[in-house]
Amino acid sequence: MSAPVLTEQAVPPVAPAVARRSWFAYLRQPSAALSVLVLVVMVALALLAPVIADEPAGAGPDVLQPPSGAHWFGTDDLGQDIFAQVVWGTRTSLVIGLAASLIAIVLGTAIGLASAYFRPIDAVATVVTDVMLALPTLPLMIMLAAVVNPSLWTLTLIIGFFAWPEVARLIRSQGLVISAMPYIDGARVLGASGWRIVTREILPAVVSLVIVSVLLTASRAVISEAGLSFLGLGDPDAWSWGRILLNAQRSGVVAIAWWQTLFPSLAILLLVLAATVAGMRFNDTRDPRRNGA
Amino acid sequence: MARFVLSRALKAVLTVWIAITSTFFLLRLLPGDPTTLMVEGDMTPEMQAALLKTYGLDRPLWEQYVSYLRELVQGNLGISFRQIQPVVDIIVDRLPWTLLLAGTAFVVTVAVGIPIGVAAAVNRGRWLDRALQALGIGGHALFVPSVAMLLLVFLGARLGWFPIGGAIDPDTRGAAAYLSLAHHLVLPVLSLVLVQLGPYALTLRTNMIEVLGEDYIRAAQARGLSARRRVWKHGLRNAILPALTLMGLQLGTLVGGAVLTETVFAYPGVGRLIFEAVGQQDYPVLQGAFIMLAVTVVFANALTDMFYAVLNPRIRL
Repeated sequence: MSAPVLTEQAVPPVAPAVARRSWFAYLRQPSAALSVLVLVVMVALALLAPVIADEPAGAGPDVLQPPSGAHWFGTDDLGQDIFAQVVWGTRTSLVIGLAASLIAIVLGTAIGLASAYFRPIDAVATVVTDVMLALPTLPLMIMLAAVVNPSLWTLTLIIGFFAWPEVARLIRSQGLVISAMPYIDGARVLGASGWRIVTREILPAVVSLVIVSVLLTASRAVISEAGLSFLGLGDPDAWSWGRILLNAQRSGVVAIAWWQTLFPSLAILLLVLAATVAGMRFNDTRDPRRNGA
Repeated sequence: MARFVLSRALKAVLTVWIAITSTFFLLRLLPGDPTTLMVEGDMTPEMQAALLKTYGLDRPLWEQYVSYLRELVQGNLGISFRQIQPVVDIIVDRLPWTLLLAGTAFVVTVAVGIPIGVAAAVNRGRWLDRALQALGIGGHALFVPSVAMLLLVFLGARLGWFPIGGAIDPDTRGAAAYLSLAHHLVLPVLSLVLVQLGPYALTLRTNMIEVLGEDYIRAAQARGLSARRRVWKHGLRNAILPALTLMGLQLGTLVGGAVLTETVFAYPGVGRLIFEAVGQQDYPVLQGAFIMLAVTVVFANALTDMFYAVLNPRIRL
């Protein structure tokens, strides 16, 4: 369940020196530092996957081994190493999470800003956003993913396309506050075009909210990717945490091979938790009421 | 009041229509369209053409859309590609199970979430409150199949406390059948509740803290009302309304969670049907399942809104 985790308030753009100080303040919070560390480790695992473990392929002699020195996370019913699967799965989760999040952010920010400033666009955009938020997203994504050939690309597009409404709503609500500020009227009186006002005046004021949204949207995208892969709609050529869980489910050894369920589950939990906490702490840092800036 | 109910119902119908129309065209414009999916490689061109004609896939897109809508209004969702049977019959068989699962999870989340949220708001900063904040954030990071499979492995298979799949033991009759039904429901419901409870109770706590700071609560205190009465009678009533709407908005997520949970526990609802249809590329079933779930969610959401209007004295219509 995704209850709103953000507080919305207007924050004027800050000077570079203040920005540096707030980065420092941000990383001084233990939970923020820890989350950033987890994210950095995950990125390193994804980049270095070929160095850390061979890509799991084919059957091995050690079938259904519990975790041991040779196989840290145990092996599955084909004798493949679960640790290697989890490490390679990090790549899929991060790539799809980030790429889908970027699509959603670009669409959501553009639509959110446009509807905050241009009234006629707002009417249409609000209807579309409301409709998309009212629908059960997972069955919708399943239906589309089942028709196209599943690949990293198509999954990213589908997940990204259904994640933008939440971003749009968030950006719109803050954009509306900014649009009503006197300096926007000032810009209009000076003859600035609508495009200029949106891109040069309103966008900079919501940029920190956009950064927070990238993290929160990416964490939702990771969950969506795992869900689709778990239902058999993942890229058949790429390892994914959802696919490891699907294999455990399909092979009928769930009851014995608890390690095949536990370790990919922990990976999902860690990544999503780290991204969420990092985003929320960033949101707290930019709140002037909390840090007294 | 009647006007509000009517306009909310109209909005729900409009939402469903937009959803149906856009998915209809999207599905037919996508690269791998249903025509290529359902036609097996070893068919002769004549057989292919005959099959396409049977399903009406050889006609212009616009005509297909109009007849699709007409059939839909009459309750016809097409024929399953794999089990030669009307899609609507297949789904109607399965829908009660999903409603039972999601409905029970909904009620349990609200029933357990309210006391926790209120207790955390009243004891602000104490251990329960801190635990709830951690759970509220952690809940966003829980992946439904992970929770469901771990429950299945440990409480189901290892300890043997609960059945590991299905919805009912077919050999039971009468009271024993209801007991078996409840017994099978425990783990799937628990999977959904564990994921939703933290964020829900946390939102309720936030609403409650806001309400407890309102003037009318202080006025109640000045009138000498007991703390218990202030919190549970005056405060909760006002905090619960936004929490109810929030729960209504989360129905889509709840249904998505049910799809995953049913897959793990082989629970015979629409979710499990979707999983099977994915494996068989049974695309009319997928589309029908989406439409039925969308209708359910959108109208349940509209009902929550109407309920809210009835309960909230500030919206006397």
